[in-house]
Amino acid sequence: MVEFAAWSATFVHTVPLATTANSPPSPPIPSPLVAILPLLAPLATAVGALLVRRSDRAQRAVSVLGAIAYLGAVAALYAAVAEQGTLTYQLSDWQAPFGITVVADSLSVFTLAFAAALSLAAVVFSVLYVDSYGQRVSYHPLYHFMMVGVTGSFLTGDVFNLFVWFEVMLLSSYVLVAFYSGPEHTRAALGYAVLNLLGGAVMLVAIGGLYATTGTLNIADMARRLANASEYGIDPVPVLGLSAVLFSVFALKAGLVPFQFWVPAAYRAAPAPVAAMLAGVVKKVGIYAIVRLNFTVFATATLPAGLSLPGFVGESFLSFYGPILFVMAAASILVGGIGAISREDLDSMLAYSSIGQIGFVTLPLAVGATVPAIRPLAIAASLVYALNHGVAKALLYLVSGTIEDTVGTVRFRDLGGIAVRDPVLGGSFLLGALALIGIPPLSGFFAKLLVFDTSGSALALDGRGAALAIAIGLTGSILTIVYFSRAWTRGFWGPPGRAIEFWGGADDGAVSGDGRATTDGGTATDPVPEGAAEVESTSPSVGLVGIVAVLALSLVVLGLGFDPVADAAMAAAEAALDREGYVRAVLGGTG
Amino acid sequence: MTQFVLAVVLGTLFALGTFLVLRRDVVRVVWGVVIVTQAANVYLVTMGGLSGVAPIVPGHGEAVTATAVTDPLVQALVLTAIVISLGTTAFALVLTYRIYEEHGTIDLFELGRRDEGDGGNEGGTEDFARSVADGGERCTADDSENETRTTSENESGRSEASVGG
Repeated sequence: MVEFAAWSATFVHTVPLATTANSPPSPPIPSPLVAILPLLAPLATAVGALLVRRSDRAQRAVSVLGAIAYLGAVAALYAAVAEQGTLTYQLSDWQAPFGITVVADSLSVFTLAFAAALSLAAVVFSVLYVDSYGQRVSYHPLYHFMMVGVTGSFLTGDVFNLFVWFEVMLLSSYVLVAFYSGPEHTRAALGYAVLNLLGGAVMLVAIGGLYATTGTLNIADMARRLANASEYGIDPVPVLGLSAVLFSVFALKAGLVPFQFWVPAAYRAAPAPVAAMLAGVVKKVGIYAIVRLNFTVFATATLPAGLSLPGFVGESFLSFYGPILFVMAAASILVGGIGAISREDLDSMLAYSSIGQIGFVTLPLAVGATVPAIRPLAIAASLVYALNHGVAKALLYLVSGTIEDTVGTVRFRDLGGIAVRDPVLGGSFLLGALALIGIPPLSGFFAKLLVFDTSGSALALDGRGAALAIAIGLTGSILTIVYFSRAWTRGFWGPPGRAIEFWGGADDGAVSGDGRATTDGGTATDPVPEGAAEVESTSPSVGLVGIVAVLALSLVVLGLGFDPVADAAMAAAEAALDREGYVRAVLGGTG
Repeated sequence: MTQFVLAVVLGTLFALGTFLVLRRDVVRVVWGVVIVTQAANVYLVTMGGLSGVAPIVPGHGEAVTATAVTDPLVQALVLTAIVISLGTTAFALVLTYRIYEEHGTIDLFELGRRDEGDGGNEGGTEDFARSVADGGERCTADDSENETRTTSENESGRSEASVGG
């Protein structure tokens, strides 16, 4: 079904139109295949994993190799974009704006790069973590179909196609959220699915309206038409309303307050590597869509003066979105931070934390929308924060998964003393937490620095509400410190909790033997009666800890070698704001 | 006239869908989602314009003579959206059945009440029982001395509920 949906979107709706053909035919644009390689790699992997489903080992091998190939394809695209600038691929050679265009610019490849790197880590983790029964049929194909959807969303240059990729991504993620199929998992999946299905319908309404108003679905063409709205006979006022409807769907995908309520249940229900990808990458698709459509497309339109909207000053769409983004970001930071403080288990705390951190990703966007002069810095800050949060939150979810795999619980009151029993795992958690708090030399320091730098620069330029943005940022940072300190002291320091006693060698307390913790490759073991002689020690799988440690090291590496990251983020921010360059790359001719 | 009729139909469909989504019964919620999605599809068709003739090209290579044709793109979009909603509806219905199997009810109030029950459960033995029953692959250290007894009670209670309900 998923392939078919993607397939039909790719080919069915490329019907040429006499009615919209009021632009001159564009010269043929070279179509480098490298632009769609990142789409083909996970698609081929998903189909391949389905074909070899009879053999567990072959399926896992295909899955891991596919993730490596995906990373390779993204790296190739990254290099090509760095060398040649924005690349486009016209599907079936239907020229834009009539066909579907795949557009790879600096913004797309920046987000793709960390998606691919995290995806490889999550796939390898999954192979070791998810029990063999679960992996047997559906896990790997679903996972890679989800990555197809994520990649498509980052690369598409067509609004309706964006809807299709969203659905591809979501349809796979519904099944992955419901993966364990227990009571809480089915309940979480119901809420997640119903909300996102309604979101899909709303998105369809917005897209239909935009098509009727602007006469195009191509993102570049829409940007061009909106920039010369009177020339094309477009009334910008309905476009503003429709763009707001579309924005609410993106905010739902990103989990911004007030659309955050599906987040904790869904993240708790999903298997740890999937939760890592949902928090680390899938949420960022919503942020990417907000940046792409609001900053590249809708920012170009001007509204008629004297539009009587309450509290609205200015003539740009972005001056309308600035306060909205600000309120949502501030509410996310506060709701996420305060919610995370009172959670009783690690997974819920991380879920609330990711609501708060998405607020930090959005905050610079809000400031940048209000103060045009600092827009490149604002978008770069948002992207760097998204990257930092992606890596750090994926790391923390994988730590949580490793703990659950070892002792079967992540409730704080059962944990404690993990740092002593397993310094590598504890140290990795600490690094992830410090990265989100923003301690140098980790990448999180620069992310926080840029977020505050954005607000500070806005303040220097006398931007409205910049001081409030700084205050919210500081409050959020303090909340982050509080909830991570709490998690650290309760889960990783202090005397070993009940679940941790037998971790890493049965030394003390082993003889008391009122139970035991086991994890031996997917067999449930009944608790042993008191006084049983057989007490096994448990220790986490070396592979799981290894992956976690690699991610933790990557936080340090990203922080120490931050210059290339900053350059890439700045290039991405400029690409996001360079409407003319985008239009020229897609449509040819003049922007 | 066509416009007025379609506007009324669309309004009715969206209202009906919204009403059903807010019901207690999960099946009705799924119906509501389906109706909202179909309403969006009807809306999408109207966005192509309601006047004009069918955009049929007389033959290969011949010029289109009709001046006002209806936009066929939206119909292609709707086809794609229908295919997607077919898949998601099938999944939502299967999920509903699975919820019935797991909880013994498809009443959202009941499901919510169980949720609250989990949150207030200080001992957390229910969670433990579920984690054993659900994944079947994990085990944890004992919460208390009577864990084994509570676990088995919970499990039997749960399976009875799902069989009997």
